[in-house]
Amino acid sequence: MSRPETRQLNVPGTDQGIAAALDALAESFAVHGLSKAVTWPVEVALDEVLANVVRHGLEGREGGSVEIELTLDTGVEPPFCRVVVADDGPEFDPLSVAEPDTTLGVEDRPVGGLGIALVRRLMDEVAYERRDGRNRLSFGRRLVAVEA
Amino acid sequence: MQIGEDKVGEALVIAPAGRVDSVSSAELERVVVARLDGGERRLVLDLSGVEYISSAGLRVLLMAAKRLKAPPAALVLCGLGPSVRTVLELAGFLPLFTVEAGREQALARVGGPAA
Repeated sequence: MSRPETRQLNVPGTDQGIAAALDALAESFAVHGLSKAVTWPVEVALDEVLANVVRHGLEGREGGSVEIELTLDTGVEPPFCRVVVADDGPEFDPLSVAEPDTTLGVEDRPVGGLGIALVRRLMDEVAYERRDGRNRLSFGRRLVAVEA
Repeated sequence: MQIGEDKVGEALVIAPAGRVDSVSSAELERVVVARLDGGERRLVLDLSGVEYISSAGLRVLLMAAKRLKAPPAALVLCGLGPSVRTVLELAGFLPLFTVEAGREQALARVGGPAA
């Protein structure tokens, strides 16, 4: 019987750390034979969340690190993936940020806030909590193709 | 990410391949800015090799659109796979861009004398 499999990662709060985490996630999916056609939304979401944490939360702080917990349940159909990203930066709930206006023209289009809006729209579930002095953002999705 | 470039007549095709994420998009931005600064005005972005694009990559597309807004300058996107198209759609970006299916159609659309 296959059971949910959890993998813990600790990466530095840097571009290299983001790249390493994305590589690890892609590798976990590949090991289970899951195709990019169903895994890419989780990969995009992880990139968005890590970019927020690294660029805004840790703000170039030396020695900042990010803990990532990947849970993959291939025993259900469709498979389910949940990722938890935890950092010890200042308390910040990215879900409290207002959604950007995605109807404006080229000149007026805001560039901030778009990443978290994509996470909300691509994931089945997103949750934030502040626990033990850490920000924890959890997001998950059933691994099926996105219906536009 | 790898970035292919192909000059066809007056048009320049830039074709990133792999994932356009918050780290690699800086590389794409460098190439696009360098070519626009170098005087390229008819740009095709062929995204057929892109695994997925996140908001950092969308920022690069938006920057190129702003700089190529005034005709005869032109920007045409092509080769959008399901992941790229979905992200552009969810971000409300599709109405902001001229999109063609393949590179040939994009080159015809971007204008300038044929090669």
